[in-house]
Amino acid sequence: MIEAKGLSRSFGGREVVHDVDFRVGPGEVVGFLGPNGAGKTTTIRMLLGLLRPDRGSADVSRPVGYLPEQFAGYDGMSVRGYLRFMARMKQPPSNEVDAAMARAGVADLARRPLARLSKGQRQRVGLAQALLGSPPAFVLDEPMQGLDPKQVVDARHVVQSLAHEGGAAVLLSTHVLAEAAAICDRVVVIVKGRVVAEERPGDAADLEARFLRLVGQAELA
Amino acid sequence: MRGLRATRATRATWAVVGKELVVLWTSPLPYVVGALLHIVLGTLYVNQLQARGQALAQPLFPLAGFLLIALVPILTMRTLADEARTGSLDLLHAVPVPTRALVVGKWLASWVTTLVVLAPATLFAVLLAWWGNPDRGPIIAGFAGLALLSAAVAGVGLLASSLTSSQPVAAMVGFFVALLLWFAHVGSETTSAGPLLAGFSISERLRSFAGGAIDSSDVGFFVLLTAAALVAAATVVQGRRLR
Repeated sequence: MIEAKGLSRSFGGREVVHDVDFRVGPGEVVGFLGPNGAGKTTTIRMLLGLLRPDRGSADVSRPVGYLPEQFAGYDGMSVRGYLRFMARMKQPPSNEVDAAMARAGVADLARRPLARLSKGQRQRVGLAQALLGSPPAFVLDEPMQGLDPKQVVDARHVVQSLAHEGGAAVLLSTHVLAEAAAICDRVVVIVKGRVVAEERPGDAADLEARFLRLVGQAELA
Repeated sequence: MRGLRATRATRATWAVVGKELVVLWTSPLPYVVGALLHIVLGTLYVNQLQARGQALAQPLFPLAGFLLIALVPILTMRTLADEARTGSLDLLHAVPVPTRALVVGKWLASWVTTLVVLAPATLFAVLLAWWGNPDRGPIIAGFAGLALLSAAVAGVGLLASSLTSSQPVAAMVGFFVALLLWFAHVGSETTSAGPLLAGFSISERLRSFAGGAIDSSDVGFFVLLTAAALVAAATVVQGRRLR
């Protein structure tokens, strides 16, 4: 379960997240949408315990599988070496590394150093490390970034199966509305640090029209 | 529960040590630092031997010590600064990896790397023993002093790395602080706080080792300096973890 309860946070006197409330239940994929600078990353950092909220609280089932927007890893390490390191940190059973690599589609890259991976391959390694330990909650920040169309389809399937088959709560931050429409059960729209809508995504064109209207209204307000 | 947490922290520490060693030794850094250290050290040491006309090990230690305070911060500059820059630190915090395990693991890997980089310097002692009959006590004590100094400077370098996300800034801050500690005794006769300041001089502490004496106060000083730097680094990392 992932729950934001009245989260607020200011930087330099300017409130960038205001009273954000939402809940992601087990078995649910919830899209977290918003234009650049809307407060998505700040909210995610508060949910993960990386940033102290000024007000409100976050409740996230642990351990949490986290994929940051710009996953880096360590250039000198091989894919398997890196995942073994993360597995030792998270302490899942040792055979989970191979399973996570296979699920994220990086099994054939096991011996390759992270420095020699493309952006998309690196992103899939990031997804593999998030899968380690079979967490009950996932926070995925732009997980499809840099993936080619086939990889996007595969990754969507993985994300949906985490919730619908594994029963995990998945919060997925994305800029791509088609992606949210394709895989999310619900979307939470945040504009200027405030949640302006929480609804079912519908089809991509419909979501796009509603999103633009919501952002426009919030900007005018 | 407490025992379980301690076991987890220990396991995480060793995992961090292993990861850091792989990351360090797959980069050119230790090789470049090692080459620089031994080229400069070898040249300066041979010059000292020629000037003195005696096969002495003692001049080796202050030379190596000074080079280490310049080079160890280069080995440690990446440790926390680069992880903060790339966001890897956030990922580890989100797990969450115990801060103590992170800091101690990184320091231990940096120290081990420094010792490995320094190790060829023992060849100078082997060559001296081959050509002459030097007193072994000061040689063993001198290398012990260098090992302790490396530990302390690695701690200072790690602390510098925790304060910034820029590697060059971390290296410069680390070197500057180590330099202050190296010259802490200079001018100590002229001020009332002189004896206190001189006590912080890592060069004076190293001189004592190079003279063949392993004094518990000198050992204690380096251990305390290392521990203080690590506690400070852990405090900074913990503070950044939840701002």
